[in-house]
Amino acid sequence: MNLAAWNTTLQFAGVSALFALSIYASLWTGVLSLAPVFFGAVSAFTFGWATMTLGLTPVAALALGAVGGGLLGVLTAFLVLRLESHYLAMATIALVLIGRVLVINMEGFTGGVAGTLAPGDLGTWFWCLGCLGAAAYVLARLRGSRFGLAASAVREDPAVAQSLGISPRAVQLVGFTLSGVFGGVAGVLQASFLQFIGPDTFYTHLGFTTLAAVVLGGAYHWLGPIIGAVVFTALPELLRGPLGEFDSIVTGLLLVVIIVYLPRGLVDLRRFRLLRGRGKAVVSE
Amino acid sequence: MVFLEAAVVTLVIQQLVNGLALGAVYALFGVGFALILTKMGILNVAHGTFATWGALVAYFAVAELGLPFPLALAAGVLAAGIIGVLTDLVAFEPLRRRGAGTFAPIISSIGMWIVLLTVAQAVGGGSATSFPDGAIPAGPIRLGGLVILPAQLLNIAAALLVAFGLHLALARTRFGAAVRAISADPRSATIVGVNAARTLRVVAFTAAAIAGLAGVLAGLSSNNVSFDLGEALLLKGFAAVVVGGYGDIRGAALAGFLIGILEVVSAQYISSGFRDAITFGVLLVILVARPQGMFGERRLVRA
Repeated sequence: MNLAAWNTTLQFAGVSALFALSIYASLWTGVLSLAPVFFGAVSAFTFGWATMTLGLTPVAALALGAVGGGLLGVLTAFLVLRLESHYLAMATIALVLIGRVLVINMEGFTGGVAGTLAPGDLGTWFWCLGCLGAAAYVLARLRGSRFGLAASAVREDPAVAQSLGISPRAVQLVGFTLSGVFGGVAGVLQASFLQFIGPDTFYTHLGFTTLAAVVLGGAYHWLGPIIGAVVFTALPELLRGPLGEFDSIVTGLLLVVIIVYLPRGLVDLRRFRLLRGRGKAVVSE
Repeated sequence: MVFLEAAVVTLVIQQLVNGLALGAVYALFGVGFALILTKMGILNVAHGTFATWGALVAYFAVAELGLPFPLALAAGVLAAGIIGVLTDLVAFEPLRRRGAGTFAPIISSIGMWIVLLTVAQAVGGGSATSFPDGAIPAGPIRLGGLVILPAQLLNIAAALLVAFGLHLALARTRFGAAVRAISADPRSATIVGVNAARTLRVVAFTAAAIAGLAGVLAGLSSNNVSFDLGEALLLKGFAAVVVGGYGDIRGAALAGFLIGILEVVSAQYISSGFRDAITFGVLLVILVARPQGMFGERRLVRA
C-alpha cells in the first residue's frame, strides 16, 4: 500500500476505534450491545440532513450528532436494559435491523435505498484524533472513579454488585449514555469521511467487525478497543493483496482463536502484571 | 353482496394459509435456534448460515448431481447437521471446557458466522438462483376458492412434525431428560451419569439439521437460493423465540406461525415496504412489555 492508502486506512481505523469505544462503554458495565451502529446511523443521517437541508455548519452538526446520540442512548437504555444478557444483545441487534428498514423507507430524510451525500469538512486527522482523544480521556478519568469501580463490579456479577449497594441499572444507564455519545460522534465522522452514506453503511457488518475489534484488543481497558480497531482495520487491507476476497475468513477465524486462546484480548493488564511476576495480589480488572 | 362477502372471506382465509406456510419456515428455524439458545445457553449468530448451507447443498444435489428432491433434501439436512457439529467443536466446546461466560460463545459464533457466510458466498456465487422446476409437484391444490401449493403443505407439515416431535423427545425420552439435566446444571448431570459431551453433540446436530431443513424449505417456497438466505431466517427465528418465550419450544413454533401470518396480512392490508419493520416492531414491543415472552415465565437471579 502507498502512503495515501495508508492515510485513508488509518483514518478509518480512527473512526472504528470510536465505534469500538462506544461498544466498550456499555460492555464495561456488563452489557453486550450493538446499538452503537444504530446510534451511528441516526447521527450520520441527521448530520447529512442537517448540513444539506438545514445548512448547519459541520461542527454544529457534529455537536448535534453527539447530543442526539447521547439522548438516543438514554432512550435505548430505558427500552432494553430490563432484558437479560442474551435477549439484551439480540434486542440491540434488532435495533440495527430496524434502523436499516427505517433508512430505506424514510426516503425524504435519508435518500432511501440510493443513500445520500454527507458533505462536511470533518473528515480530517484533526477531528478524528480530537474526538478519539476526548473519548479516551473521559474513559481514562472514569476508570479509577467510583463509577469505574461500580461498572467493573456490575460487569463481574450484577447480583453481587447490587448486594454492595450499587444499582446495576443506573450504572448501565450511564454506560449506554456514553455509548450513545461516542456512537453518535463516530457516525458523524464516518459519514464525513465517506462523503456518502446508504442503508448498508451502518449495518450488522459494521457492528460485528467492531465487536471483533473490541474483543481482539481487549474489553477490560479502554486502550484495548483502540488498538483492536487499528489492527482490525489495517489487517484486512494487508491481507487483501495475498488473499483477495477471502480476507474476512481470516477475520472470522481470528475471532474464534482469540476468544478461545486469548479471551481477555491483547491489552490485558492482569496478564501483564502476572508476567511481571510481582508478588502483589492480582486484582480483577 | 353475498358473493362479495364470500370472496372477502376466501381472501382472508387464503392469506391465513399463505401466512401459515410462510410462518412454518420461521417456526421450524425458530425451534432449532431455541434448542441451542435454551438448552445450551448459546446465542448462535451462525445459525442462519446452517440454513444457507442446507439449501446450497440441496440445490447442488438437485441441479448438479441430478438427485431426486427427497434425497437432496436429506443431503442438505445432513450437511447442515455436520456443519453444526463442527461449529460446536471448533467454537463452543473449548469455551464450555473453560467455563467461559455468556458473551464468549456469542463472539466465537460471530467468527463462525463470518467464515461460513464468506465461504457460502464464494461457493454459491453472489447471485441468487432457485431449485429447478419440477423438484416437487407444482400443481396447486384447489379447495373451495382456496389455492394451496404442495410446497406450502410440505412447510406446514414439516414444522408441525418437527416441533411436536422435538417437544416429545425432550419431555418424554431418556435423551430429553439428559438434555434438560445438562441445561439445568452440567456438572450435576455428569455426576449422575449423563454423557454431556455426546448429548450436546447430538443437540448441536439436531438444531443445525432443523435449520438446514428450514433453509431448504425456505429456498423451495420462495424460489430463491442465495448465500444470504439464512440471514432473514435468523432474524425471524430469533423473533419467534423472543415472542414465544423460552422454556418451551412449542412457544417458539407458535410464535413463528404468528409472525408469518402477521407478515402476510400486513403486506396485504398495510404496506409491503414496512413488512420487516412491523415484524421487528412487534419484536421490540414484546421485548419491552413482556421480556419473558408470551408463554415464558420469570426466572430468579441469584448471586
